[in-house]
Amino acid sequence: MKRFELIDISGDAGIRAFGKDLDDLFLNAADGMYSLITDPGSVTPQKSIEIKTEGNSLEGLLVAWLNELIFHFDTYGFIGKEIHIHELHDTLIRATVTGEDFDPEKHGKGLLIKAATYHKLKIERKEDHWEADVIFDI
Amino acid sequence: MSLEQLRRIDETRLEIPLDYKQGMRVPGIIYADSILEKELEIQSIEQVANVATLPGIEKASLAMPDIHTGYGFTIGGVAAFDLKEGIISPGGVGYDINCGVRLLRSNLTKQEVFPRIKNLVDVLYREIPAGVGSKGKIRLSPDDEKRVLTKGALWAVENGFGEASDIEHTESRGMLDGADPSLISSKAYERGRAQQGTLGSGNHFLEIQYVDEIYDEGAANSLGLFEGQMTVMIHTGSRGFGHQVCTDFLEVMERAAGKYRIELYDKELACAPFNSPEAQDYLAAMRAAANYAWANRQCIMHWTREAFMKTLNLSPRSLGMSLIYDVAHNIAKVEEHTVRGAKKKLIVHRKGATRAFPPNHPELPEIYRHVGQPVLIPGDMGRASFVLLGTEKAMQETFGSTCHGAGRLMSRHQAIRKAKGRAIWREMEDKGIIVRSAGRGTLAEEMSEAYKDISEVVEVVHRAGISKKVARLRPMGVVKG
Repeated sequence: MKRFELIDISGDAGIRAFGKDLDDLFLNAADGMYSLITDPGSVTPQKSIEIKTEGNSLEGLLVAWLNELIFHFDTYGFIGKEIHIHELHDTLIRATVTGEDFDPEKHGKGLLIKAATYHKLKIERKEDHWEADVIFDI
Repeated sequence: MSLEQLRRIDETRLEIPLDYKQGMRVPGIIYADSILEKELEIQSIEQVANVATLPGIEKASLAMPDIHTGYGFTIGGVAAFDLKEGIISPGGVGYDINCGVRLLRSNLTKQEVFPRIKNLVDVLYREIPAGVGSKGKIRLSPDDEKRVLTKGALWAVENGFGEASDIEHTESRGMLDGADPSLISSKAYERGRAQQGTLGSGNHFLEIQYVDEIYDEGAANSLGLFEGQMTVMIHTGSRGFGHQVCTDFLEVMERAAGKYRIELYDKELACAPFNSPEAQDYLAAMRAAANYAWANRQCIMHWTREAFMKTLNLSPRSLGMSLIYDVAHNIAKVEEHTVRGAKKKLIVHRKGATRAFPPNHPELPEIYRHVGQPVLIPGDMGRASFVLLGTEKAMQETFGSTCHGAGRLMSRHQAIRKAKGRAIWREMEDKGIIVRSAGRGTLAEEMSEAYKDISEVVEVVHRAGISKKVARLRPMGVVKG
């Protein structure tokens, strides 16, 4: 199964993530987002951060999760490579993200993402997998 | 729901009638002529109609000719709300709070600058932090960051970035009162700590330009512009700080909309009654972010002047790089307007729209009182930008507002596909425009074809009378994130 694909949208950028379960979906959404920021192949797992985020719905949680990762990138330059989700239910996610500090010389410079938005946001359970659409403000 | 339901009011305006959508309290008005009408996206029309359903909206849900689909609110949108019955919405401002533009004049001519343009662009690219993962030169202590949030551009001037006269030439004197640093999340503080004095990425830029056409000699004179003159334009906003404030408050507002039972067509329209604590908190936080942005443009301008001094080995006096004006185009402000014959205060949301106040408005600096407010409209990096002036008609029709830029036509991926196999920087160089960019795809995404023709957009606001053309500026050198 494809992990994510890009959504074409005027002015901004989005991803459609796929996952066999919710953990997989949240993980692939994060990887999809990182692929917009840089070349994921150039990132190596060197240090870890712990993330705990809450949202007021499953969709809200997905936005909050991605915004948390955007915050760590935009503030500390941390870019993730490997993600382990420890706990995920309707309104809470707890995960360890391993990656490294962004280095403009070493990593490809892609899009500067301002935020994950609620625009056209959806999470759907298909017959044998999950799908989520997220649009980012660029 | 179709384009046929739009009614043409006159040559430059289309109306979305009240019966277009259930719940519309006022009609929608889109500024577009028959050419731009063809480029209208159905979704953006829906968004103008959705905004018309919000409580307390006055007169009309307005869209400028650079309209394109945004989140909840359209880009290029203007909406004003009553302070008693109305709401305030972070979506009506956008993620990049006080994204805006400033323009510097100079004593130099195109001919004098052109031979040194590569050199200048290289120095600016080196001196002004830009692009993904770039680090700023300023590290704000927690106390300093609070001062940035309350003082805006004045903080920058007090810390040696620029001159006192710059403040006079900035919308709202580069500082909104009522900013409250205690309402800012620790995340926003952290995110803003190292981003003061950075350009960012996307459509933000720093451009060396020249005045290539003057439409109103007298007005150009009053603004200090002459044909062939070099100018510098800076387009950026509140960076990660403002994005975090918006992100934080969208969550607050989503809950608030439920609490106050405001029916929303779209989650990104999340809002709260103007007098509610949630709305007042957002307003105070948004003002802090707006001030952060004014300090940001002030710092970048200061380094720009230094770069010119060093590179051209000229004194500030011979350079004459003074600030013409600075405008915000993503902001919400309490302003006085005339509605149904009476003056009243309103909360005016401008998202991708520029304030365009007329001559004699008390908000204008003394030197522009007689001509009106300078309006700065950046175009795409290959074509042109414009200087206009605010008008009385804008006060009557659009709450003193006009367009803000070209408006996108293509998605980023469409643009990248279209640019495949082309060296955009070389195409630009062939046109006499030197470009430096940090991002891998920025130039393709930002190429001219990805945008509406700025000249058509400006032509519509000029003909509609909501601002009037003064001068056209052409790019010579561009720094992109």
